[in-house]
Amino acid sequence: MSRFFERYEAEASRFFDEVISKDGTPRAHYDKLLHRFGQFSIDDIKARREIVNIFFRNQGITFTVYGEDEGVERIFPFDLIPRVVPAHEWQSIEKGLIQRITALNAFLHDIYHTQKILKDKIIPPELILGSQHFIREFVGVNPPLGIYIHVTGSDIIRDKEGDYMVLEDNLRTPSGVSYMLQNRQAMKRAFPVLFDKYKIRPIDNYPQELLRTLQEISPNTRREPNVVVLTPGIYNSAYFEHSFLARQMGIELTEGKDLVVNNNKVYTRTTRGLERVDVIYRRVDDAFIDPLVFRPESKLGVAGLVNAYRKGNVTLANAIGTGVADDKVIYSFVPAIIKYYLGEDPILKNVPTWLASNPSDLKYILENLGSLVVKAANESGGYGMLVGPESTIEQQEKFAEMIVANPRNYIAQPTISLSRHPSFSNDSDLYGCHIDLRPYVLYGKTVTIVPGGLTRVALKRGSLVVNSSQGGGSKDTWVVDE
Amino acid sequence: MLSRVAESLFWMSRYFERAENTARFLDVNFNLLLDLNRITHVENPSYWVALILVTSDKERFNSLYNEYSAHSVTDYLVFNKDNPNSITSCISLARENARSIIESISSEMWEQVNNLYHYLQSINPQFVHNNPYGFYKEIKNASHLFQGITDNTFSHNEGWDFIQIAKYLERTDNIARLIDVKYHMLLSEAQSQPEIVEGSEDIIQWMAVLKSCSALEAFRKVYLSKIDPDNILRFLILDRTFPRSINFSVCAAEDALWRISGSSRHRYVNNADRLIGKLEAELSYTAIEDIFSRGLHHYLEDLEQRLVKVGEQVHLTYFAYHTPEIESPDIAEALPFTGIGGGRANWSQAQQHQQQQ
Repeated sequence: MSRFFERYEAEASRFFDEVISKDGTPRAHYDKLLHRFGQFSIDDIKARREIVNIFFRNQGITFTVYGEDEGVERIFPFDLIPRVVPAHEWQSIEKGLIQRITALNAFLHDIYHTQKILKDKIIPPELILGSQHFIREFVGVNPPLGIYIHVTGSDIIRDKEGDYMVLEDNLRTPSGVSYMLQNRQAMKRAFPVLFDKYKIRPIDNYPQELLRTLQEISPNTRREPNVVVLTPGIYNSAYFEHSFLARQMGIELTEGKDLVVNNNKVYTRTTRGLERVDVIYRRVDDAFIDPLVFRPESKLGVAGLVNAYRKGNVTLANAIGTGVADDKVIYSFVPAIIKYYLGEDPILKNVPTWLASNPSDLKYILENLGSLVVKAANESGGYGMLVGPESTIEQQEKFAEMIVANPRNYIAQPTISLSRHPSFSNDSDLYGCHIDLRPYVLYGKTVTIVPGGLTRVALKRGSLVVNSSQGGGSKDTWVVDE
Repeated sequence: MLSRVAESLFWMSRYFERAENTARFLDVNFNLLLDLNRITHVENPSYWVALILVTSDKERFNSLYNEYSAHSVTDYLVFNKDNPNSITSCISLARENARSIIESISSEMWEQVNNLYHYLQSINPQFVHNNPYGFYKEIKNASHLFQGITDNTFSHNEGWDFIQIAKYLERTDNIARLIDVKYHMLLSEAQSQPEIVEGSEDIIQWMAVLKSCSALEAFRKVYLSKIDPDNILRFLILDRTFPRSINFSVCAAEDALWRISGSSRHRYVNNADRLIGKLEAELSYTAIEDIFSRGLHHYLEDLEQRLVKVGEQVHLTYFAYHTPEIESPDIAEALPFTGIGGGRANWSQAQQHQQQQ
């Protein structure tokens, strides 16, 4: 064990530690990393931290925390110690994700067409038809190639045994991929020697793969497709990412007011008049995307866009109404969905989930609020959540009321001890932080996953919440060939 | 190019230029008052009210302050957030516009706007009071640096041309206002205190006007030491080579507009090109005597009106989101366009705060 890690407490009996195994020895794929870090003094580390900080500041890599006043832009906290995923583990994650996304896409196609899975009583129809994310206007529409979920970012965690399992499928507008790309750039600058010691699979081709995927779904095959990114605007927390991706792909970054629909065709408003648009990589939620169909007060969307889409004159990525499949209630049915459409057993496990809409589950949830994690079915970003062991009695009572009032909207899961990884926050102290992994899955003519993803870190000591909106950070993720 | 991107480039540039011009007015006024201490003192309100007149902001100023003084006018023109034309407001708006098109401009341009913004956030009135020269120099240099960075890191295509149009329209407008106000002041002084206008103080004041356009040295090279109002006006309005003269700025705006549309002399394709071409042609064939026979004030007022109309037509042709076409002059000249404060500042922030997955 290197001297750098001497004082690190893995607590391997309580958590799965990514670096140190149960018997206290380092895992083989971390050997070179530990050796290299062992050669560093605290000052060496600080110098490298400075390199990284300067890189992020100059790139303007910031995110926005809501509910705070001025100075809303903050640098995304970054942890210097990379996560290493051996190729054989990655292979099963990759297979598992491809299986899962393929099945979820088939599910979306089914419920927006014949709804066979409901007729076969695999899923109670009221769960789908009553979901606020089930968009009736989209029934019977045929998106190009039959694909609904072009860009997804499933959150994967490891349980106490180190088994990978899916915690959430983000099938609407998952964010964070720009951090994945920038983290890699920062690490290359700060640790060039370490890079040389591992065979790290590259990820820099993500923007090209994304653009290729978007071009493949163009409804118009006769000419070079015109693809644009649609952002809610500069005050959105992920605006940096939207502009970053547009720049990397070399396409226009548009806002709702840049687009106009005429005769069911979509155009950008340019200084030379109107230009036809074929594909929109939209980072605006369904509810805001078309004031004629959804929220009438929305200023972020484009009037008439949904009709243009239904006519097949433009493709949206992701499709409208995909939220019905990443609802936390539907989540519990994903193993059944995989079995139903593919006839296979799921490769990646699900976290056990109780549905408040199911009377026996509801009873269990209310009796065990202190030990469960309760989540609102339609919230994301770590909002609307009760972490049982960390909650007060008042919070539990408040949640109990909310659950009883609207059981369809709540699920509960056991408090999973997310795996831990040594992390190096701004103080010069090494300690274990809980992490998850968000790989980005692209679905065009084929399914592509760039190796790795965004590893999010709950940098607050002991915290289980990794979301950037709740004080989480991230680290680089290396898929290495042995 | 997206109309929104073009519009943001335009306003980014325009606000930046406006901030620089305000810094110039203030800087020169301080210097002037130090030179005139024989007949007046630094707090003489009549010299400060002129700065408010230049920006046509008398009403707003009076609603916020009780008196015209070095302190109140400086505060209003440098720091006041309720004044959309204060240096701080202009740079905030320039930055806001830049931020909304950050993927379109060069990262060096963004850094420069951002640096100046943060510099202004760190400055307090006492600092400006103690070192006005240093502060205004900082603002002017920041603007020059921004223009240099833009010229050297940003492709000279359509987007760059929008930056040029904005810069030169704003500059022309500012020179015209400055001359108008100074002339007005000197004229009223001539009526009340003839000895001042006749004497060296008059020359010093006109030199101040030249200085605020960085024009004193260039002027001397043309007219040697003959500093008289006619020559100064001839230089600031009609000189074709000095970059802070009206004629030069109008030509530069015209060039940029024509590059965008492909217009040429005798062949305009839209109303913005037509109006700027007409203005340029008239300037080219105007002698200073023509201006005097019309009355300088009327001439400048008319010029300012016509600049507003050019701005309106740029807006209608390129930003207002419809296919460009030539409209009849009557309709074209009827639409209101404030040209101040509008820009891209009004966003629906709340809706953009959607939750992210």
